[in-house]
Amino acid sequence: MTVITRPAPPPVVEEAAEGAVGKRKSRHDALLQVTGQALYGVDMKAPGMLWAKAVRSPYPHARIVRIDPTRALSIPGVACVITARDIPHNRYGFTHQDQRVLADDRVRYVGEAVAVVAAETLRVATEAAKEVVVEYEPLPAVFDPIEAMQPGAPQVHEGGNIAARLHIRDGDVERGFSEAEIIVEEEFRTPFVEHCHLEPHAALAIPGPQGTLTIYSSVQRPFLVASDVAKVLSMPLSHVRVVATSVGGGFGGKNEMTLEPWVGLLALRTGRPVKMVFTREEEFQATTVRHPYRMRYRTGVRRDGTLVARSVEIISDCGAYVSWGASTLAKACIHAAGPYVIPHVKIEGFLVYTNNPVGGAMRGFGVPQVGFAYECHTDSVAAAVGMDPITFRLRNGLRDGCRLPTGQVLERVTLHQTLQRALELAGWERGAVP
Amino acid sequence: MTFHLRFWLNGQEVRTEVEPDETLLWVLRERLNMTGTKVGCEAGDCGACTVLLDGRPVTSCLLLAPKAHGRHVVTIEGLGSPAKLHPLQQAFITYGALQCGFCGPGMLLSAAALLTQNPHPTEREVREAIAGNLCRCTGYQKIVQAILAVSRGEVP
Amino acid sequence: MKKRGRGVAWMFYPIGFTAYANPSAAFVKVNQDGSAVVWTGATDVGQGSTTALAQIAADALGIPVELVTMVTSDTLQTPMDIGSVASRVTYIAGNAIVRACEMAKQILFEVASEELGIGPEGLESRNGWIFVRDFPERRVRLAEIARKAEVVKGRPVIGAGSYNPPTTFLDPETGHGKPYNTYVYAAQVAEVEVDTETGEVKVLRIAAVHDCGRAINPLLVEGQIEGGVAMGLGYALSEEMVLQEGRVLNTKLADYLVPTSLDVPPIDVEIVEVPDPTGPFGAKGIGEPSLLPTAPAIVNAIYDAVGVRIRELPATPERILMALREKEKEQPGRSVRDREDGRPEK
Repeated sequence: MTVITRPAPPPVVEEAAEGAVGKRKSRHDALLQVTGQALYGVDMKAPGMLWAKAVRSPYPHARIVRIDPTRALSIPGVACVITARDIPHNRYGFTHQDQRVLADDRVRYVGEAVAVVAAETLRVATEAAKEVVVEYEPLPAVFDPIEAMQPGAPQVHEGGNIAARLHIRDGDVERGFSEAEIIVEEEFRTPFVEHCHLEPHAALAIPGPQGTLTIYSSVQRPFLVASDVAKVLSMPLSHVRVVATSVGGGFGGKNEMTLEPWVGLLALRTGRPVKMVFTREEEFQATTVRHPYRMRYRTGVRRDGTLVARSVEIISDCGAYVSWGASTLAKACIHAAGPYVIPHVKIEGFLVYTNNPVGGAMRGFGVPQVGFAYECHTDSVAAAVGMDPITFRLRNGLRDGCRLPTGQVLERVTLHQTLQRALELAGWERGAVP
Repeated sequence: MTFHLRFWLNGQEVRTEVEPDETLLWVLRERLNMTGTKVGCEAGDCGACTVLLDGRPVTSCLLLAPKAHGRHVVTIEGLGSPAKLHPLQQAFITYGALQCGFCGPGMLLSAAALLTQNPHPTEREVREAIAGNLCRCTGYQKIVQAILAVSRGEVP
Repeated sequence: MKKRGRGVAWMFYPIGFTAYANPSAAFVKVNQDGSAVVWTGATDVGQGSTTALAQIAADALGIPVELVTMVTSDTLQTPMDIGSVASRVTYIAGNAIVRACEMAKQILFEVASEELGIGPEGLESRNGWIFVRDFPERRVRLAEIARKAEVVKGRPVIGAGSYNPPTTFLDPETGHGKPYNTYVYAAQVAEVEVDTETGEVKVLRIAAVHDCGRAINPLLVEGQIEGGVAMGLGYALSEEMVLQEGRVLNTKLADYLVPTSLDVPPIDVEIVEVPDPTGPFGAKGIGEPSLLPTAPAIVNAIYDAVGVRIRELPATPERILMALREKEKEQPGRSVRDREDGRPEK
């Protein structure tokens, strides 16, 4: 904010002090929302629209022997069925190009899509999806990341199940532990979590002239979706327009391409608009989730409560494809030591393929997992040296000019200020809890 | 076999042909093009599809359309109009009660039913009345504040 | 028996992608009537970014926010934005909009400088007026200048801007680098009541204090914090996908428990505003960090209440009862209020 400090401000400057920044403005679309007029992905419609439905794998790991859509195509009202063969460039991904638009030789998790049907009505599309014959040859599967790291474990992809590794070292962690007077070691685990945005994934593709395509989608990253759709469908980027509708929540779950290439291709094939909405079951089984982490924390501390060393090992269950797993792991590793001054730190992270649902982006991107661990661990370490958790934090917490294990030096660190105010709000000194 | 459905929608008589196993939610959104009523789970769990049936909140995804025959249905389109908002709609705007807004139509109708039945609810009663309407964005705090403000006649 | 406890947790969290480029671009046009149109690729996913970005544009141009029209998230019609992720939109798209507005304002000021008899560098704009910084009573309506620029001078008032936070990748050997340009901080306090017979946890209250830099819109910032706390509460106590050989067993919202209005307690929110000079009007971000301290604060409060440390989320009644039983076995006859078990290794 511009602060006007000159004396005797004339009227124009008083007006100036008004401004919009810092004001409690209502949402720009609040009126549309409260009257039911906001148009979300699920609300999009176009004349002559078809509905699409995915055929999904019941197996966590299987070879696809054969896909036969003949019976589905013979059902009145079915317009088109697409499979991996119809995808010109069937690979995508941010750090790892391991994901398929539709499964080709293998399925790697329950719910992975192998075909998509377009039909006149949702009812017919749903029925027809059940009539697409897919012959599978089940393969050994692995569901535990620790088991997946062992030699001889079923291989989710060629090249081993460790999809990514990351380490951060600062100081000399062995020396740090040797200088410690008390060492506390704990293991933490976090679960698979669904975004549960209230609006499911939903998109409508409309074919345009000269092979162009407009896709309305409930998505957080329309530009990424446009470039990925253009890539997998081998179309010029200029032919793909993606418009984000009103989005009924995302939290990372609508961070990437999902149903857009399917409705896009079906629209191009049929020359008609195609709409698709995921069911809640598909949201849980087939879309990305928050990665489950196993985290081993080991911390060396002096009896006076000074932190000297910390090592953290993180094992992230990636699920069947990397998606945002590697970048999530990086963010987790960078923050795993917590907001503390610790001279000797070692962080190691492993991203491990399994035949579980695909881990993706979710609000906090790996840091809620390590945040749970480092803050609970902090209370354990404080207890081990006989300090109360607040005194211990105030003693070791980051301040201006402190350095992270990455070497980055921080400015304007307000940790202590926020803690002090939170304690006051909670009435801590007055003893809010009997 | 089609069913000749006749009911009152937001005060207007509506006649339409439906399949007997279609839900009221589907009829509203797909046959009548009233998309203000949202679809979130189709299992009666999220409350996004809540409408008022004879003044009572129901999840329209579980209600077969023929069950609405001869009855009064109020959807978000009938609660108020942009020109003449219901006080709850105004309060939701002023208090910032919605973020993505997807739970809003159902939430507003549950709240409206509560205030009709019980014009001066306690905070606990407000929380109970909207417990079937999930919101993933707001933490419910501003929604509860907005409903209580209306009950106290505090909405501008 | 019901026992109460309280716990704290704090956190630090960065704004923007980890090292990777994550730019936003923006276009702006000032119309003859002094209104403006802003084109941004950023998508409002409920967090309120479009509203906050309009507020930034209004103050960057010096016009009332009611005169700002936002065009968003259309790959044909709006300039590139990497997306509504990583708590990045206010900071990065906001900076892009400020830069676009500066360019448009330069045109306005050059045209206005003739009228006001001073170079563009001596001018400021606010609330629909362009004025001489040192003699604010010497002023002209911004709309008049916009019209003159377009109609008389043939210089339509437009601007384009982009921003990408300066970062470096981590060194593969040491993991050292500067992957983010700025950080936010927060602390939360949770008060809980644990039923030692059923293992159920009731969260009584959460105090959440967050530094988001300058709060462009405190109403929306509070909303982000309150919603984040609710999501953190679900992470702490109830949310868990149950898998059996890769199949999710609880695929309904009746079985996967998102917090309801009865689960989320009153939340006391406070915003600490320490403006960041690298952000638009000092703003940083708030989207993701709001959820981070909630789960550990609750789990620490459970420990404070009944002396058991839950190390696996969510802290379900079953896990709490199991931990209480184990504790009873380890220390028969001792009260659950004893707190010596910090579990030192040696």
